[in-house]
Amino acid sequence: MNALDVARAALDTAVGEAEAVAHIEHSGLARFAGSEVHQPTLIENAMVTLRVVHDKRLGVATTNKIDAAGLSELARRAADAAASAPPDESFPGLAPPASPPAVEGFDDGTAALGPDDQARLAAAAIDAGGDVPVYGFFTSALSELAVMSTTGLSVHQRMTDATALVVAADENGSGYAEQTAWRANSVDPAGVAREAAEKAQRTRGAAEIEPGVYPAVLEPYAFADLLDYFSHDSFGALGVLDKRSYFTDRLGQKVFDEKISISDDALDPRGLPKAFDFEGTPKRPVQLVEEGVARGVVWDRATAARAGDGAESTGHAPPAELRDWGPLPSALSVLPGDAETVDELAELVGDGLYITRLHYLGVVHPREGIITGMTRDGTFRIRDGKVAEPLVNLRFTIAVPDFLCDVFGLTNKAALVNSQNFYGERYPYGVMAPAIASERFPVTGVGSKPGI
Amino acid sequence: MTRVPRVRDLCAAAVDAATAAGAEYADARVVMKRNQFVATKNGRVERLSDSESEGIGVRVLLGGAWGFACDSRLSADRARDAALRACTFARAAPGKHLRELAPMRPASGTYRTPFERDPFQVPLAEKVAQCLEADEAMAGPDILVRQAMVRAQREHKLLLTSEGTEVEQELIECGAGIECAAAHDGIFQMRSYPSAQIGSSCQTGWEYVDGLNLIGEAPRVAEQAAALVRANECPSGVMTVVLDAEQVAAQVHESVGHPTELDRVYGTEASYAGTSFLKPDDLGSLRYGSKLMNITADPTTPGGLGSFAFDDEGVPAERMPVVEAGLLTGFLTSRETAARIGAGKGGSMRAEGWNRMPLVRMTNLHLEPGEGTLEDLLADVDEGVYMETNRSWSIDDKRLNFQFGTQIAWEIKDGKLGRMLRDATYTGITPHFWGSLDAVAGRDSWRLYGSTICGKGQPGQGAHVSHGAAPARFRNVQVGVRS
Repeated sequence: MNALDVARAALDTAVGEAEAVAHIEHSGLARFAGSEVHQPTLIENAMVTLRVVHDKRLGVATTNKIDAAGLSELARRAADAAASAPPDESFPGLAPPASPPAVEGFDDGTAALGPDDQARLAAAAIDAGGDVPVYGFFTSALSELAVMSTTGLSVHQRMTDATALVVAADENGSGYAEQTAWRANSVDPAGVAREAAEKAQRTRGAAEIEPGVYPAVLEPYAFADLLDYFSHDSFGALGVLDKRSYFTDRLGQKVFDEKISISDDALDPRGLPKAFDFEGTPKRPVQLVEEGVARGVVWDRATAARAGDGAESTGHAPPAELRDWGPLPSALSVLPGDAETVDELAELVGDGLYITRLHYLGVVHPREGIITGMTRDGTFRIRDGKVAEPLVNLRFTIAVPDFLCDVFGLTNKAALVNSQNFYGERYPYGVMAPAIASERFPVTGVGSKPGI
Repeated sequence: MTRVPRVRDLCAAAVDAATAAGAEYADARVVMKRNQFVATKNGRVERLSDSESEGIGVRVLLGGAWGFACDSRLSADRARDAALRACTFARAAPGKHLRELAPMRPASGTYRTPFERDPFQVPLAEKVAQCLEADEAMAGPDILVRQAMVRAQREHKLLLTSEGTEVEQELIECGAGIECAAAHDGIFQMRSYPSAQIGSSCQTGWEYVDGLNLIGEAPRVAEQAAALVRANECPSGVMTVVLDAEQVAAQVHESVGHPTELDRVYGTEASYAGTSFLKPDDLGSLRYGSKLMNITADPTTPGGLGSFAFDDEGVPAERMPVVEAGLLTGFLTSRETAARIGAGKGGSMRAEGWNRMPLVRMTNLHLEPGEGTLEDLLADVDEGVYMETNRSWSIDDKRLNFQFGTQIAWEIKDGKLGRMLRDATYTGITPHFWGSLDAVAGRDSWRLYGSTICGKGQPGQGAHVSHGAAPARFRNVQVGVRS
């Protein structure tokens, strides 16, 4: 059965008003460490979530038992849940029928990759690592999402994705690279490994620096991670309504440097395109920041109804189990700048830091957009406008709005950085980010040398 | 617990298919999991869900290489197909593959979490009412957001291996928590109970949720949130810090639990969660902290989320010291890593579910209690800060450089708590920090916290782990890190 068949079968078991969301995954991930595959995982799964509405009482149940008995039981549990809930007068109703935009994002060749292919592509990365042991994975998947409801809504999308991710590391250094795309043949595992290994070679003999505020260049990997974390509280409507977002009371105001424009555009074929969200609402591109001015946030049906005043869903409802997080961006995209290369950005910085990747970010203060974390797998000093000697991993505690306030420049090309660590059901998403140079990157501590 | 003969036959079919295809070792796990979750927000039911998932995961060792495949369809054909696909993946896997497993006697047995009140027999309407009442009890001036949640999980799993192990377990979890957010004059603050990040959970029945007294605690939580938005910011400086048991549990998790996972020490988590500052040779010689630091891994802890009779390799549960009087004496191991280091026998392998490979995970990792009370710890502080309830956390890939923030703090002056403080953070380097431990409160102050948000692996896996801890005092800590 495809996802639409599963959703239809689930909906047929429900009594009254209902919505079924089916999510199917066929994936393979060849994870390697020390240049050999050690955790190869093949997954076959089909999940269906049934949301029923009885007199404004809502109940949700999920199962992966998609035979007749399993779906009948699903309907019973959803009905029991609804019967236990008080009426929700603010419920905006299930999404109406919609015609989602045609999007790219499916590739037959990627969908056809099997375990032999995934192992072969992992081997390509391993072989290209050369003398430096490599750690990472190659993965590819076919996933399907369908939403169907008693309102007449019926939408379905097949998606493919592939990622090669490599940390090249020995006792004296480490480097990082990744590529992700919806076409596996756009991902070059050997190239990823070479980039990581070359970076690792340059990190040997890392030095310490004093904490302080430095100008810095962040590669797309680092910038995407920082923006993704900032977005969880600040770019969703619930954060604004609950007043934990940095954008609270700031929409329409200049908040960042005018070089910064950020959107959420799930229709962009350069990303991992999505046609609709987990309520079946078509995806719309949303301008979040335009030339430094806070323009908007992303919405789902519940937050739009709560806000009133003409607010509409932008197609950003998350899966049912994450619905209490509110709508979240899943296709952030930063408008590139003028710099041809990261070396040009280093020239703009003059004296500062060059940062490849961040690690284990934590939100210290959502309303102020303060995030802490470490740099990792390629931190360097910039001296006289050139990337210079390697540095140890650095702790930073940064107010993201401050970082984005004084921007020297951005590269003229954005890279798609994978933002899913493949928890739960497969729903690939990423951030399109260029490299960025900013005047303010606060280093608040020093860590260990790069390397295993 | 109801034995499911059909499930046992599926596992046997998978293991037989794998060994017939050339696997020198194979195991098959069928897992059936059900979760209920109720959450309310500002007097409205935000989430009322009942989810279930089942499937079979087959792991093979073939030519020294691992392979893993799974399927949600519980039929003999799909079980055998998963086994063959796992073998295909293992055969294709590049590498030298010189893997061995620590020897074990075939295990057999059943285990079920002891409980008084089956959480799935508690009516959903009662769960909704509990949340709404606690939610309402947090209403007050400056309170913008009130949230309450309760959860329950039942995991029924059967493991069968080609070595003759056959174990069946049913694990029951319950959890609950409340949280509110206050805002005033641009200041935003949160307060939670019994811990941050969707409450605390315990492996037992609904009596755990009833015993938390969410409704009774709600007014205090709201009052503190409202007071925090008018509190002074925590000062910066090097000073004495006293942490409540919940924050000590978070500190144990990040700076002791993860670095002592032996797969991280060997680098197999390098591409995601990171490695460890520890080396295999550090066992028995590395000074982790002061002599007051005693850490124990104990999958037999009553109520622990990491409690079981057998891990996901079938190794029987056993209490084990990890740090004794400040000295590193144990790692958390799998059969593979135990064989590699030549010590231990595994026992820490856990998978999130049927569709993930088991990984070395924390079970229940505790800081053993010391003596006295929180008041005794405070009494010996001239100037310092007392911090309560984790708010933020971050640690480097080797688990050395960390930074934590807490929801609330109070200054300590002349042995007594003084003004309330907001936005408290502290930072340190793991062995140096634990070396500064100079007091741990006693058994009466020791509490068990259960977390459901520990992440690791690619594809990612969440693990449910518990930590027991008592308030603890650390000297010369860097407090008040700001951007």
